[in-house]
Amino acid sequence: MLRITGGKVYDPANGIDGQIKDLCVDDHGRFVQSVDGGRTIDATGMIVFPGGVDVHTHVAGGAINFARAMMPEDHRRTQAFIRTKSRRSGLGGMAPTTFATGYLYAGMGWTTVNEAAVPVLSARHTHEELADIPILDKASLTLMANNEIMLDQMAKGEFERARQVVAWYLWAAKSYGIKAVNPGGVAAWKYGHDAKQLTSPIDGYGHLTPGTIVTHLAQICEELGLPHPMHLHCNNLGAPGNISTTIDTLKHLEGRRAHIAHSQYHAYGGDGWDTMCSETAELAEYFNTHPNVTTDAGAVLFGDTVTITADGPWQHLLYKLTGRKWGNLDVENETGCGIVPYTYRPSNLVNAVQWSAGLELLLLIRDPWQVFLSTDHPNGGCFWRYPEIIQLLMCADVRQENIKKLPDRIKGKITLPEITREYTLYEIATSMSAGPARALGLTHKGNLGLGCDADIVIYEEDADIVRMFGHPRYVIKGGEIVLEDGEIREAPQGHEFLVKPHCEPDIDAFMRPLFEDCYTMQFDNYPVELERIEHPYLQDCIAAPGR
Amino acid sequence: MQKSKFLPRGRKDRTMVLVDIRETKSANAADIFLQVRPGKDFELITILRALIKDQHVDDERIVETGLTREVVSDLIARMKAAKFGCFFFGMGLSMTRGKHMNSAALLTLAAEMNAFTKFVAMPMRGHGNVTGADVIMRWQTGYPFGISFNRGYPRYNPGEFSTVDVLVRGDCDAAFVIGADPGGTMPQPAIEHLKRIPTIVLDPHITHTSKLARVHITTAPQGIAAPGTAYRMDEIPMPLKPALKSPYPTDEEVVRRINEAIAKKPFWLPDGKRPQILTSQV
Amino acid sequence: MPVTLRLKRTPTVPLEAEVLSPDVMSGLSNDEIRSLTIYHGKRQLPISEFFDVEGERSEDVVIHGAMQKVRWIGRGMSKGSITVHGTVGMHLGAYMTGGRIEVHGNASDWIGAEMKNGLIHVHGNAGGQIGAAYRGALAGMKNGTIIIDGSAGLEVGMRMRRGTIVIGGPVRDFAGLQMKGGTIILLSGAEIRTGAWMKRGTIISLKPVQLMPTFAFANEMNPAFINICAKYLSQFGVCLPFSASDGTYRMYRGDLSVPGKGEIMIWQPI
Repeated sequence: MLRITGGKVYDPANGIDGQIKDLCVDDHGRFVQSVDGGRTIDATGMIVFPGGVDVHTHVAGGAINFARAMMPEDHRRTQAFIRTKSRRSGLGGMAPTTFATGYLYAGMGWTTVNEAAVPVLSARHTHEELADIPILDKASLTLMANNEIMLDQMAKGEFERARQVVAWYLWAAKSYGIKAVNPGGVAAWKYGHDAKQLTSPIDGYGHLTPGTIVTHLAQICEELGLPHPMHLHCNNLGAPGNISTTIDTLKHLEGRRAHIAHSQYHAYGGDGWDTMCSETAELAEYFNTHPNVTTDAGAVLFGDTVTITADGPWQHLLYKLTGRKWGNLDVENETGCGIVPYTYRPSNLVNAVQWSAGLELLLLIRDPWQVFLSTDHPNGGCFWRYPEIIQLLMCADVRQENIKKLPDRIKGKITLPEITREYTLYEIATSMSAGPARALGLTHKGNLGLGCDADIVIYEEDADIVRMFGHPRYVIKGGEIVLEDGEIREAPQGHEFLVKPHCEPDIDAFMRPLFEDCYTMQFDNYPVELERIEHPYLQDCIAAPGR
Repeated sequence: MQKSKFLPRGRKDRTMVLVDIRETKSANAADIFLQVRPGKDFELITILRALIKDQHVDDERIVETGLTREVVSDLIARMKAAKFGCFFFGMGLSMTRGKHMNSAALLTLAAEMNAFTKFVAMPMRGHGNVTGADVIMRWQTGYPFGISFNRGYPRYNPGEFSTVDVLVRGDCDAAFVIGADPGGTMPQPAIEHLKRIPTIVLDPHITHTSKLARVHITTAPQGIAAPGTAYRMDEIPMPLKPALKSPYPTDEEVVRRINEAIAKKPFWLPDGKRPQILTSQV
Repeated sequence: MPVTLRLKRTPTVPLEAEVLSPDVMSGLSNDEIRSLTIYHGKRQLPISEFFDVEGERSEDVVIHGAMQKVRWIGRGMSKGSITVHGTVGMHLGAYMTGGRIEVHGNASDWIGAEMKNGLIHVHGNAGGQIGAAYRGALAGMKNGTIIIDGSAGLEVGMRMRRGTIVIGGPVRDFAGLQMKGGTIILLSGAEIRTGAWMKRGTIISLKPVQLMPTFAFANEMNPAFINICAKYLSQFGVCLPFSASDGTYRMYRGDLSVPGKGEIMIWQPI
């Protein structure tokens, strides 16, 4: 039981914008009208936010674990967590270890994360890692857009069957939603090719095009009633001129809901590295006129990081461009991933455009309920640097100072210098918590209203925004004080959110022969057992009207 | 062998090249057998790296590896023409002179082959759940093996912290062995050290190490009577579904009970004495 | 008057003593030095548990003892001197940026790893990975001088970027592995795979060495820079031949597999 009194509360889900009000939490970790006994935190003069929700991050599973193996030199230079009575040991840095991931996110006041890419074949691994991330609640998304069995059904025009296949996989993986990465492109990478044109057939799949996959997968997510719509990493990531692919992709949605991942990487004009420029104005305009889509920024921060993505072809290209280390993993029948450590530099014209584009999207898309704070960790930058983005959004003068460090040739390639908008605290709370929670369909998160989960972060007001958001005074998770005065006090286990979509009774019998034909594993060993999920929480699927 | 959509003739659509220092039974299953001179793997792979980049290598230098230019050129042509190539490698590379550099050579060749076609490499792990231990170590500590926690956080340095080196030099004063038999496989100085210090073994069998240990606890065999997860060599997690019951506790039970007993002792870190982090940022 | 430490108790497990450095000790009193923390395995103990300490407030440190298990002496030092009488353990002078370390005895692996400047002279034998990059790092030593009078182990100068390493006795495999620059001088040659995967840099060997098949003979020469090198190294008692009347250097270029522009120069006496 907990009472928080006298704080300035920002609760966008309930329209509360800096009102001084009290919050009360019951024994079950939920907000109630009033409470007797328990502790009282005097938050006078402090800012109270709902706990942060990261809608797109890579913190667990085969890909990030491969990255950990590739970077012992980063582990040696980074923040180390020492084993104490309440905390396990670990390492921060570009690919933090599991225990450290929980402490670092909670240390900033983030309490829910969405692991954005899970191959079903190694889903068991992802869940085991998620179980080793303390404090946070988690959701995860199953990679589907390059799944052999689903692609075969779509290539045959069997879209009903494709939906049943998706439903089967989703429950087999015990995850929360569907992730589509470079539809058709990752499958083509198994031949060393890519799929860059939305309307061109994919190598090896007859007449099937990425565009068809986009349309039908969005439809499938709606028909299955998933709380979160299709989460889409568009084709042609990172390439100059890809704005046309992105707009084309959005048109293929035909008005259906979708969440566009890390849109910064998909908003470029120009036709080569020399002419590459930001076309975020065009993309922002689309978002401003189409409420059916949400996005996360995938903002870039200058400095070292590691790029990890299921976009195998893009990573091989990055390896050839940079000559740095390269890791490549293939997951049979399903997907793959590429890993390249990378340094974003302000002196590099392309990086300068990318840095500007991420901020432009956050500033030009007017509604913070549609655009969310993220760096596609670790691709654009490490998650523990989010306070730096918050500062860039709230302080136009800091932005202008940073723009001065960019090369002169950047003139005409970006619109950031002209943008004067500054985010308010209310908008930050929306973009970092209420908005992503709503987009994920996690109705009890990002919300300080009655009955919702008591995930709260309390900041001391500070003119130094980076310090303020980087060092909360209190972090509360499910009503428990996990961080106080800079120290992790408790490290309770979090929940994992799952969905169980409706599956046709004959789907097992349908899947078995297809599975046994192309997998090297027994069909019965494939689905993850529910018992393996730590504290699962089953979210409802609300089937679309008319089904 | 499996026929598939992309390889409709099954085995006939695949070419297997076996490279070894002597002809083994596997050579019968291979399409091409290349007998490389012992201790010349690193040189051969480095030659291949140069030739795929059209760099010149003298005939005599190729012959020193045990192969001819003709054979090597044919191999490269086949590799470049393949749709999907895979190098499988084992202890013949990772445990012979050169050790990790032999493995690094093959991995680098696989990466460089991607300029021409799709190529990957797969290490063939030892028995037991080696891959599982590696995977979990990495997610909890950031490192696959060779780790020290003496400063309260994970540090990695093969040769300094790897087991055989620690035992041979006598750098530890106690040993806890689970599901391994260093007493049967390690060099004599390591075995002598295991005898000198308190050694504790958890294993379903009485092993060589058990015989020289201070304490041996018999545990239920993994996968047969104890549940869990095993990671295949391609890092795919497989559920272990025990078929039998065992009168012995599982390794997990024993370790948990030991942890509980340790928790009753004074904490390893005296209050207020945080160890200095040995970071590379000096 | 230097600070003098004498080992009085043999460590049973590795003893990590990065505090044994002029940067840590130079301003401290005798009592303060005695209470500095060293790590015997996981136990944090004061120096006085293992060492007798004489003297104080000096940039010069002298250490006596059989210290094969004592690691990280001179880590990151930037000034002053450390003189060791006895054996010393791993990571001697790792990350150092200045100052001098001299060992009258044998040393272990990772001497001067990733050092930025300074001088290390070991009169006995050394281990492997001298002046090298720690695992995964892109570069090893960035400058400085390391001289080993005796033999050395594997991967000497692995990924070094600049600086000079001289080894008097025989050297094992992979000397100059993935070198990016700098100079390695092998007075008694090396075993196999010298210069493997070199990008840039110079390896000079006074005895024949087996080269990788991806190195090509370039020419015979007596380059001027060796005269300069020889003059610099003579102060350490290192004798580098360069006169045309005594012989020439056969120069080989490689490693073509990278492709790299490293040079290996092998002395051919007349």
